[in-house]
Amino acid sequence: MNALIGNPQEDFLVLDEVKTHFDMGTTLLTRESKGVVKAVDGVSLTINKGEILGLVGESGCGKSTLSRTIMQLLRPTSGHIWLKGRELSAISDADIRSERINFQMIFQDPYASLNPRMTVLDTLGEAVRTRHPELKGDALRGRVAELLRTVGMNPFQMKRYPHEFSGGQRQRVAIARALAPEPELIIADEPVSALDVSIQSQILNLLKRLTRELGLTMIFISHDLSVVRYISDRIAVMYLGKIIELGDAEAIVDHPLHIYTKALMSAIPEPDPNAERNRHRIVLEGDPPSPMSPPDGCKFWPRSPVEHSEELKTVEPPLVEMQPGHWVSNCPFCVGTDHQA
Amino acid sequence: MTDHSETAVLGKDSAPVIAEEELVEGSSLWKDAWARLRKNKVAVGSLVVFVLICLFCVLGPFLSPYDSNAQDLFSGAEGPSADHWFGTDTLGRDLMVRVMVGGRISLMVGLVATVVALAIGVIYGATAGYIGGKVDASMMRFVDLLYALPFTIFVILLMVAFGRSMWLMFVAIGCVEWLSMARIVRSGVLSLKKQEFVEAAVSLGYSHSRIILRHLIPNVLGPVIVIATLTVPAVMLLEAFLSFLGLGVQPPNASWGVLINEGQANMEIYPWLLLFPAAFFAVTLFCLNFIGDGLRDALDPKSAKD
Repeated sequence: MNALIGNPQEDFLVLDEVKTHFDMGTTLLTRESKGVVKAVDGVSLTINKGEILGLVGESGCGKSTLSRTIMQLLRPTSGHIWLKGRELSAISDADIRSERINFQMIFQDPYASLNPRMTVLDTLGEAVRTRHPELKGDALRGRVAELLRTVGMNPFQMKRYPHEFSGGQRQRVAIARALAPEPELIIADEPVSALDVSIQSQILNLLKRLTRELGLTMIFISHDLSVVRYISDRIAVMYLGKIIELGDAEAIVDHPLHIYTKALMSAIPEPDPNAERNRHRIVLEGDPPSPMSPPDGCKFWPRSPVEHSEELKTVEPPLVEMQPGHWVSNCPFCVGTDHQA
Repeated sequence: MTDHSETAVLGKDSAPVIAEEELVEGSSLWKDAWARLRKNKVAVGSLVVFVLICLFCVLGPFLSPYDSNAQDLFSGAEGPSADHWFGTDTLGRDLMVRVMVGGRISLMVGLVATVVALAIGVIYGATAGYIGGKVDASMMRFVDLLYALPFTIFVILLMVAFGRSMWLMFVAIGCVEWLSMARIVRSGVLSLKKQEFVEAAVSLGYSHSRIILRHLIPNVLGPVIVIATLTVPAVMLLEAFLSFLGLGVQPPNASWGVLINEGQANMEIYPWLLLFPAAFFAVTLFCLNFIGDGLRDALDPKSAKD
């Protein structure tokens, strides 16, 4: 099991204290700062080749910002990101373009993520040519057909436009586009949340199979815990721009340590009606604080049902490895207390 | 839906070559819009009339026995007859051939100025919207600045400084009309830029010009085409207005604006001198506006009123 911040030269993807802040600018006349949104505020993580890491958290916790930062669509305010020993965060804007074929993204809304004026063939062909600029004509069509078969679509439909497909089919095309440049890392930002439940499982199975068969590494972002539990090898729980718990999927789901994770897990409905009746829910009060003015100390104290000490309201607890491979934000009031009682 | 048993794995199977003819042909949004436009009887009728007027103006002078500037003082200001279908003007020039030649100028001003406005406006607006931030702000303040200039004074100044010429009028009209085009394209690009397919294009590492030309501009073209069709009549009106004031096309050259100006001077005695050019001008403007409306409904079905 690797350390929280692995060896940048050896490990697949390493994040070291990544912060992405948004400066809201200054007011017009008085030139006072309007504040800084700390969307991602110090995330450290090591991702192994071939694994699926689930990233969960409430809306606004910084999951999407983190994914766009890893994708270098947003550049980190501070911190380092290494992919296969190359420090992405140090590559200039001009040079990053040629690196992008190594990491691709699947977007949330398949209705917005495909160019409505381009056929599937044009969209995928354009993406294929980022890796193989020499392909054209029959060879390019053959490659696009191969991609479509890979995602379970009929290749004879490649001359069609996005509006002629259903949401699930469009998401398959979007997945094919992400695969087209033959990346090693795929970031899936809520790829099933815009789809019907019946289609969700098909897409999840497709992603799981592709990851295994193509040797991909995936960061799977979702707010839906049952989805994340199904697909992930490891799960990271984000709260207010930080990771507060990280570990193997079973450990996080079955034996969560942090009260916030426990609350999230207790929100997953049970399929068995008897178990569902006996399910003990931890209901959290209030909304997460604004990322413009996050609380000092343990990020969770304003919402925790357990009163925190003055020290934990000012000094931030570090992530520690409680059990092998299972990291948690070490706040004694959030961790360890028997919250079930 | 698709069958999972059919799915293959990348690279593991050798894909048979897909022949072009076997592919299911998709129906692009442009095709759909064309199909909707064809159902709009008013727009199609207007299109036919407009094309006929264009043909009449472009080909007519070659078929007419009269020269547009040839004076025949013995047959001045005659009403419509078998020799002169539209009559003659006070200098005995055949009115029909003058309407044709004037139409050429009016239509050319409308089309050229619109194409100029379109080219400048689309590129300028798309660039400003795509870059955003301070560049966008300063580029759009420049547009505001030009907007604030009173058009007539601007044109009069140009004429005074450089003398009267038709080309100068094109420049003057183009300078004014691209502004609204740039604003429309910019706002379209701003909202498109946040769409995920543009983010996807960025994350695939496409060049800026590719993203602007292939992904942004085709998606703002719908409203732009509509505005362009509605700009043509606006420009023709401007030309008529300038010519009416004596700032535009100079006699003996004719445009519909010049002919209307000449006609109104004598409208109580020789009404046909006003009637024919004014009718052609009005019908053309109507047609272009109907085509523009039809295009708007066809390109954006949500805006169509039942």
